[in-house]
Amino acid sequence: MIRELPVTAVQEALHRRWRLLIPIYILLAIIAVLGVVCFILAVILLWQFAQNRTPHYADIVEEFKYGSIGTEPHSGIPYRIWRVLPALFPEDFGGRQDYSAFGFIYEKDADGRQRDLPIGISRRTYRNVDIVWFNCATCHTGTVSATTSSPDGQQRPARHIIPGMPSNNLYLERFIYFLLNAGADERLSPDSLIPEINKTGPTLGPPDEFIYRWYVIPMLRDGLLERRTRLFPLFAQQPPWGPGRVDTFNPYKLIQANMPLASLRQDELIGIADFPSIFNQGPREGMHLHWDGDNTSLAERNLSAAIGAGVTPDSVDFDAIDRVADWLKTLRPPASPHHPDAAAVARGRDIFMSQCRACHGLADSEGYTFTGNAIGQVEPNDTLGTDPHRLDSYTEKFREFQLANFFVGTPHQFKYFTKTNGYANLPLDGLWMRAPYLHNGSVPTLAALLQAPSQRPVAFIRGIDRPDTKNGGFEAPPCDPSAPPANSFCFDTRLPGNHNAGHLYGTDLPEAAKTDLLAYLLTF
Amino acid sequence: MTENAPQDPANPAGPASCDDIIFTPLQFNNLNVKNRIFRSSVSGRFDNEDGSLTQTRINWECKFAKGGIGAIVSSYVPVLMEGRIIAGYATVHRDDFIPYWQTLGQAVHSFDCKFIMQLSHSGRQMDVPGVHNYARPTLSATSKKESLHGFLCRAMSLEEIQYTIDAFAKGAWRAREAGLDGVELHAANGYLFTQFLSSGINDRTDEYGGSLTNRARFLLDVISAIRAKVGREFHLQVKISAVDHNNVVPWEKKGNTLSESVQVAQWCEASGADAIHVSTGSLFPHPLNPPGGFSFETITATYDAMISSGVSTLRNYFLFRYPALRPIFYWAWFRMKRGRPVEGVGEDEARAIKAAVKIPVISTGGWQTASKIRTAINSKACDGVSIARSLIANPNLPKFWAGGHDLPPSPCTYCNRCLLNAPKNPIGCYEPLRFANHDAMVEQLMTIYNTHPTLQVPKPDEVAP
Repeated sequence: MIRELPVTAVQEALHRRWRLLIPIYILLAIIAVLGVVCFILAVILLWQFAQNRTPHYADIVEEFKYGSIGTEPHSGIPYRIWRVLPALFPEDFGGRQDYSAFGFIYEKDADGRQRDLPIGISRRTYRNVDIVWFNCATCHTGTVSATTSSPDGQQRPARHIIPGMPSNNLYLERFIYFLLNAGADERLSPDSLIPEINKTGPTLGPPDEFIYRWYVIPMLRDGLLERRTRLFPLFAQQPPWGPGRVDTFNPYKLIQANMPLASLRQDELIGIADFPSIFNQGPREGMHLHWDGDNTSLAERNLSAAIGAGVTPDSVDFDAIDRVADWLKTLRPPASPHHPDAAAVARGRDIFMSQCRACHGLADSEGYTFTGNAIGQVEPNDTLGTDPHRLDSYTEKFREFQLANFFVGTPHQFKYFTKTNGYANLPLDGLWMRAPYLHNGSVPTLAALLQAPSQRPVAFIRGIDRPDTKNGGFEAPPCDPSAPPANSFCFDTRLPGNHNAGHLYGTDLPEAAKTDLLAYLLTF
Repeated sequence: MTENAPQDPANPAGPASCDDIIFTPLQFNNLNVKNRIFRSSVSGRFDNEDGSLTQTRINWECKFAKGGIGAIVSSYVPVLMEGRIIAGYATVHRDDFIPYWQTLGQAVHSFDCKFIMQLSHSGRQMDVPGVHNYARPTLSATSKKESLHGFLCRAMSLEEIQYTIDAFAKGAWRAREAGLDGVELHAANGYLFTQFLSSGINDRTDEYGGSLTNRARFLLDVISAIRAKVGREFHLQVKISAVDHNNVVPWEKKGNTLSESVQVAQWCEASGADAIHVSTGSLFPHPLNPPGGFSFETITATYDAMISSGVSTLRNYFLFRYPALRPIFYWAWFRMKRGRPVEGVGEDEARAIKAAVKIPVISTGGWQTASKIRTAINSKACDGVSIARSLIANPNLPKFWAGGHDLPPSPCTYCNRCLLNAPKNPIGCYEPLRFANHDAMVEQLMTIYNTHPTLQVPKPDEVAP
């Protein structure tokens, strides 16, 4: 096409302007194209950034064990990193390739293969990164080992997983120690992690590798280091937790409430207690919940526990928590496996009815009955005499912080927490699987609980899940804390927070009466 | 005056009395006009491409002369072809056009009406350049493009200035030779004289730029040249903008103030002007001249005729065409009108100038109501008024007033559609509310084309080789 000369002066000026402005127009065009590309990328990134999805399970038991309550976004570990930590830190996993090294429980899938994640670990895709972390089952699913008869008549050991039971195997403190130390370990650097992640497959694509190298891994490390800085000075002032135990409120104060350790009193620094069972929550509504009975609202107690597990007001999944909470209202514990002498049980029942029933309800052939004048009420520790550390760890100052800061202005704002002066008289449903006993797990068996404190075991092994058919609870052989057996945790009742004093009820009964009472208690 | 005129409820006094100031003659130094009503400069594209006028123009002017006005200020008449605003307007740049203007003058005089030729030069404000001008930037006081449409221009050299001064003088001489009654220098509304006068436009550094004295030099030189050419006895009036309001495009400078214009008027009087015609604004159209409405639909239908004329016209066309963009222009345009009346919009400025000069002052700006005109003249705001749009709507407006009416039955609505149609369509009233239907409106527009049906066979020597 022949290029025409301009006809008018205006055209000539416009042509001249066009020629002068061509570089600018080209620049503008490039900017426009880049702008469009950036816009599209931004939309994609925003879409990915907005991702927040998690699997939901039709089966409520599966939901309890593997469903998310919203802990992952702000507390969790990226799933791809979670998978490679056993290989990167073999010394912490005792040579195992999974987290059973810390007491996490793995089930098998329909094909008989071990499931990818243990019970109590849920998975959520948040900002397009798969993250795993705790749910309710982390602290409330335990195991009981028993011998069963197979069809061929052979006696085989079997391990039963019981949702709602205290997580008697979980050594949570060791797991936290491992993670926080890993944050300071060079093996958690991108150069070590990314090849290991790719080895487990699928290989990270360039965008994902970029995100992991520059965003996910640095964020994880920063988070772990920050928590390490906050928690290790606390742990240094506490006795070892051991399996089946947790300090409910002190890490909560330091992490979720962002309180400096120096602001805490010395006498509140040890709040270690056993994981509780969570059966039959319905009848517990209105009772004093938690070991020290500091709350009478199931919903508020549940939400507080979820915060302890890692949810935040931004990430909490109320629907998931409510669904599990509804199910727990009627979840009944498995019947006691013990078969004590019926006559002894009857005699023991009489003793229990006269001396224990007011505080602890009763059990009969119909099951457990949640009645009693003082059941679910707080017994002053001046009377009870058990170790006060757990009671002292929940303070008025922290209560005020909870009420003033959590879910403020929402229907979920905390308002039922109270500071008590003792421990709650707990219902005893599923008592057989709730050993060791007392709030701090300082008394290994029911028989020991009926002994005077001076006669109770000074040190014993925690973490064995074979029922003690004679004494109630689980087998807990004595041990020497200075020379504990390999791969076992020797619980020393002489350490602060571990004292086995108090709860003298029944300790002065004649031995025969104690035997009868124990027989009855074995039926709970 | 007619006994059958309907009674006007707004004017119970009945027909105008013999001493009605509107119908009192206005005596200039060298010209007597029978009343105080002047047809202001307005025209259509009905002349020949070479600048010779046509019968249509004669018909157009006679339409108003017959209506009873005292004098007609012709439409914009370029003194040079490079000074046309729109091609198709009659010019006075050639001696051989004198007979045509003579005929027009005689036609107007036959209705006892005076005819004053408005001598003009567009400068950079050239709406439709036409074949003579479209290949070159127009001459101006500045080389900065025009602010609203982006019309290109080039600052005149001193020689070109002198050449243009001479052209004005010759234009005045041709008007006098044609027997016309006087000339008016169009030194208002953004045309070449304004481009020299306005501090918002003139960026020269020679003796024609800088101070007000320098900026007024071109106008005063033209007056002197005319007086030298035609003598002191030929009527000469000057139309000036009392206030520039040059910042219609918001980032432009404001231009001349009223006090500066008062000074210019006094200098004009001293140089030999016989009257001052007071308008407003340093571009045309301007929000205050002519005051009134702005029909986006109309300008969208006509502004395409100007798109090729400037470098900013396409931008304007989008602003006019797309409703989503219209608020931008609407704000820029109407922000200057706030608090200002439509009728008599320039009355206060005219009063200030009249107080400063001894020669008569004519005010323009929406005049249509007899009582308001009487008040303006009696209160010494002016000696007469010039009217365009209201006379387009009602060419016999003076007769309504003479019959005792304050307003005609179907007055001008100041819609400005007549103005907005000018670049593309015939001149006339386009207010649909004033017509029964579109055909009636077109019929009104065509009345001036009612020329002689007889066609002549050219003689051989009249046919170009």
